[in-house]
Amino acid sequence: MSESVLRASGLRKLYPSGDRTLEVLQGVELAVGAGESVSVRGESGSGKSTLLNILAGLDRPDAGELWWGSEAAHQLSLGELTARRGRFLGMVFQSYYLIPELDAAANVLMGARVVGRAGAAERDRTATLLQRVGLADRGHHLPSQLSGGERQRVAVARALMNHPAVILADEPTGNLDERTGDSIIDLLLGICAEEKAALVLVTHNPAHAKKTSRQLALKNGQMGHG
Amino acid sequence: MPWYFYLALKQLFPSGRLSFITAIATIGIMLGVTLMLMVTSIMGGFGFQMGRMIIDTQGEIQISSPTPIDASRAAAIEKVLAAAPEVMASAPYLKGVVMLDHASQPAFPFIQGFEFERMKKVIPLNRYLLAGSLDDLDDDSVILSSILARTIGARIGDMVSIYSPLMLERMKRDDIMLPREVRVAGVFEVGHQQLDSSTVLCSLRLMQDLYGLDRQFHGYNVRLQPGADVAAVASRLNQALPPGVQAFTWLESNAEFQSIITFEQNMIFFLMAFIVLVATFSITISLLMAVLRKTREIGLLGAMGGGAREVALCFCVQGLFLGTVGTGLGLALGFTLLHYRDNIVHFVAKLTVGQETFVKFYQFSALPAHTVTKDVVFIIVFTLIASTLAGLIPAWRAARLKPVEALRSE
Repeated sequence: MSESVLRASGLRKLYPSGDRTLEVLQGVELAVGAGESVSVRGESGSGKSTLLNILAGLDRPDAGELWWGSEAAHQLSLGELTARRGRFLGMVFQSYYLIPELDAAANVLMGARVVGRAGAAERDRTATLLQRVGLADRGHHLPSQLSGGERQRVAVARALMNHPAVILADEPTGNLDERTGDSIIDLLLGICAEEKAALVLVTHNPAHAKKTSRQLALKNGQMGHG
Repeated sequence: MPWYFYLALKQLFPSGRLSFITAIATIGIMLGVTLMLMVTSIMGGFGFQMGRMIIDTQGEIQISSPTPIDASRAAAIEKVLAAAPEVMASAPYLKGVVMLDHASQPAFPFIQGFEFERMKKVIPLNRYLLAGSLDDLDDDSVILSSILARTIGARIGDMVSIYSPLMLERMKRDDIMLPREVRVAGVFEVGHQQLDSSTVLCSLRLMQDLYGLDRQFHGYNVRLQPGADVAAVASRLNQALPPGVQAFTWLESNAEFQSIITFEQNMIFFLMAFIVLVATFSITISLLMAVLRKTREIGLLGAMGGGAREVALCFCVQGLFLGTVGTGLGLALGFTLLHYRDNIVHFVAKLTVGQETFVKFYQFSALPAHTVTKDVVFIIVFTLIASTLAGLIPAWRAARLKPVEALRSE
């Protein structure tokens, strides 16, 4: 395996539940190499989304280390993580989360705008990405004018806008029918490989998980082979 | 363009048009600003008209002395006035109180005596003359204010009797002085209740006879060149006038009246400001609704690398923008309504009490308005600050949302 672009070591996350404390993550170890695709499966409530949020720097672990490339992300404040997040990683969500007032192209370009870059190069990349996800002629369509699968393609293009080292996808096919879901996973894997971006795919679907280069499972707060 | 500014504009104008909720909030601000501008302008109009009326009846500056001014002091004052380039005209005056009687209807009006030929250049009395003519005025005639004339039932050509305080002085010395019989040569009305109810104008000579002041008088009314700085001219005159003689600006002479007008204007401004404040709540509510509706989008922006400060700015910009547009539209509507105010007033009067009754009752046929730049600037600044603050509450709420929790929200 190549050098890790994303590494978590001994991650622990506790949640208070009444008079007890739930330990959702119990020393999770994870290392993802550049361009590698990893799937994480697990039952509902097993902590998959919590793990993804911690890996994205949206949430902080109670213990453990998180490395974004060579940077110790666990030592950064939430503000510092926010400032670095847009350039380091892209996220794809189950519910797409497109901005309804922006058309498809503007949604993709928004990824660059947020990190302060929206010049000619970024506009060119928007066009390239839309073409790559098969929506070259739908750039001026609002999210409400797109199907679920098309919206998720826009979300994939947006996640890749800033040439991220890592894509974190949280059940990206959860709201799609099987055939559309398959095409989205194929697109995600293909485009990540082309862009040499690592992919962490959280999914319930074993068939989708099998398409990644490494399958992991989260069980009882600990990571194992899937 | 920063992303939060771009997104703010996109959220305000989805599909290029102002959203319905945003439009309602903007209309609220617009109406508040319109009302504030109109009320302050009309209040200012009444104050301005009163000020103009005072200047028209006194001049911009009054020169007076505690003791009557004799010929030698008058010559010194005239020399000072002649040397001041800002002084356009001046006229000596003598004032006091008399008892007036006509057909057994007594009254105790103020009386002012003028040198009419000089006074015409200081006070445009012709403008306020309801009946009679200044050309008919001599040392045996007077001009009465309108309400006074009505009260004692005097008309043009009627004879009225004037009893002066000098008669009492003479009586103490067992000297009988008969009342002066004078003819009513004119009736004037300036639109000021106090002046119109109890004022008599006469020649300086007649007034000197009534008060026993041979060739003496109390002071001068001074008219300045248009645009002259009244306070500065009064200050310069005071440095040059003889001892005991002082120049007062019309504002100083009517300080109490002016302070009441200013107090009224400030109170109206204060009350009107609440209307704008209430209107800004519509911005707060519309933006708070936007924050609630867009909670997951706010989470997404955080996940994409957008900071809490930038998310807050996105909503602040929207508040500021709504305030700016509302203020602009409000000023435009306000100035338009002010321009057509008389047409509107007459239209409403026609529909309700009838135009003649309206003019008779309110004693004006045109609604005065005077807009001061300072007031307009204050309205703009106040509304923009209030609108931005109105946007701060939802902005603060949006900034406090943690992306991870916002993304989870239903």
